[in-house]
Amino acid sequence: MSERVMVAADSKVGSLYGFYLLALGAALVGNLLLRIGYREGWFGQPAGIVVALVSAVPLALAAGLFWRMVQRHLDEMLQRIVLEGFAFALVIFIPLAALYVNMATAGFRVPRLDAPDILLTPAILVALGIAISARRYR
Amino acid sequence: MKNVLPMLRTERGWSQQDLAERLGVSRQTVNALERGRYDPSLPLAFKVANLFDRRIEEVFTPGSDD
Repeated sequence: MSERVMVAADSKVGSLYGFYLLALGAALVGNLLLRIGYREGWFGQPAGIVVALVSAVPLALAAGLFWRMVQRHLDEMLQRIVLEGFAFALVIFIPLAALYVNMATAGFRVPRLDAPDILLTPAILVALGIAISARRYR
Repeated sequence: MKNVLPMLRTERGWSQQDLAERLGVSRQTVNALERGRYDPSLPLAFKVANLFDRRIEEVFTPGSDD
């Protein structure tokens, strides 16, 4: 890994983190726009599909940039932090999801989850996991 | 794992950023190494030792819980 690449990595991590949050926000705004738009009759289904696709594009772009950054710009410790962040999200999300499904099946009154809630939970858990892991190595 | 990285670095008048650039890692990684929060991979440990012209065991020594 070249020195110049590593120097740039620090700022890239911060800007990618910000871009990721913005992209997540764009997806959620798109979802909100669709809900309100359909309810108020602002547009029909073809336009709604376009809004759905366009609002997800920044997240797809962020995913591509993230993948490239992990492969090319992160050193071994930063890669480990990212890995631990994903591991954290997985070990929290899977049992929570299983618990939610089983409680709902058992007839227990569980909070109703909409698509944005389901989208947000793993995204927030990954961000939280990375923040916790980064703090351990500080 | 304990190490004498801060001493070797300051002997040369390098900042953590200088050392990070020479090793091709981030400044955060150098900081974590110096504080003993992160144990380097073998290739990185060799790179550090080579940079300071020392043997690897002169730079890194096992801590009490290693």
